[in-house]
Amino acid sequence: MAPDRERKLWWLSLLSLPVLVAAAFGINAWRNIEEYLRRSESEIVTGTDAGSLDYAGALWRLEKVRLIGDGRDTATRFPGDMRLVVVRLVATAHDDIGERWNQCQVSLSDDTGRRWQPLDVTLSNDISRDLEPKVDPVKGCGITSLAPPKRNSAVMIEEKFVVPADAASKLAVRLSFASSRPKMISLPLGL
Amino acid sequence: MRIVFLIIMIVLSTVVLATLQATTPPYAMLTGPIMTDGRQGETVAATTFSAQIKQVQKAKTLAWDQFGRAVERQSSGTWVIVSAELQAMRETMPVRGATIIGMSGRLYHQSQRAQAAPNVLSAKTVQPGLPTTGIFIFEIPEEETRNMVLVLSRQYGPQLEDELHITLEQNGLVSRGRLEIGKNGP
Repeated sequence: MAPDRERKLWWLSLLSLPVLVAAAFGINAWRNIEEYLRRSESEIVTGTDAGSLDYAGALWRLEKVRLIGDGRDTATRFPGDMRLVVVRLVATAHDDIGERWNQCQVSLSDDTGRRWQPLDVTLSNDISRDLEPKVDPVKGCGITSLAPPKRNSAVMIEEKFVVPADAASKLAVRLSFASSRPKMISLPLGL
Repeated sequence: MRIVFLIIMIVLSTVVLATLQATTPPYAMLTGPIMTDGRQGETVAATTFSAQIKQVQKAKTLAWDQFGRAVERQSSGTWVIVSAELQAMRETMPVRGATIIGMSGRLYHQSQRAQAAPNVLSAKTVQPGLPTTGIFIFEIPEEETRNMVLVLSRQYGPQLEDELHITLEQNGLVSRGRLEIGKNGP
């Protein structure tokens, strides 16, 4: 009796091995897929430059866009094709944000898929003080996401980008948070 | 008979496993960089960025101004200053990983002693559509300056990311005793 039971257990263990190995691979793969989706921005919700988009517990709209470097917005002229784009977005919370705005990603993209990341905080604040010396710099998305607005209140964020002149007319601002990815919103700048 | 069969099976299994083990590429190779080769003077382009080496100079002494104060760095070997133009293809990116493979095959990363010099490319961010020029500075033994290969990547030790291998021309190597680095490079 005992040897029979032992033999059954032995076969059961042997046969369960491939199942357990496959399950281990499957769980690991699922975790990696989840992590990939959390990082990627594959689902784009596009708005118009005048309208608002509902995303991550708030209504988002483009407040102001400035193109600096060609001598029109300010007297500043940048060498070659370099231009500075200043983007201001306003978000009005209609829900409790909590930690939904963690890991904010803002970028500009054009119709060919090229993406420009915002300038770092120090350089961005230095430029803000040069442009408007008597005004405190508007916070970027990363800092704002640490203290998001309460329900029914609004907040403005500002990001600055260095882009080539020929791309300026085709740019759209993209925004996403870890909790809402792979969904992201895209608002054309209309420059 | 059964023992002979068992021995044959064990030997066969050992051979199969040894073959599999010997022919399996190491993990570091499977997840290593995606290499693109080229030569100085031509635009060497990978999927995410490209580089063109404009000039390579050697000097015993480097000099630059830092916050209005003259800074000078001497070397018991030699300074190698590589002037380059970088372009990002898809998105904003730094090119922080720069290494020279010397004559002996040794790898030399950028010098920490000269990292405060102006116009150093590894301190810049490359924006798509905006070619960025600057320099990479290395401090290496004199005998290593023959047949150098410059290796560029987003950061040191890239995994499944682009890495450019650019052979530097021996004939185009300009040698100077002292090299002043201004805001726009040497």
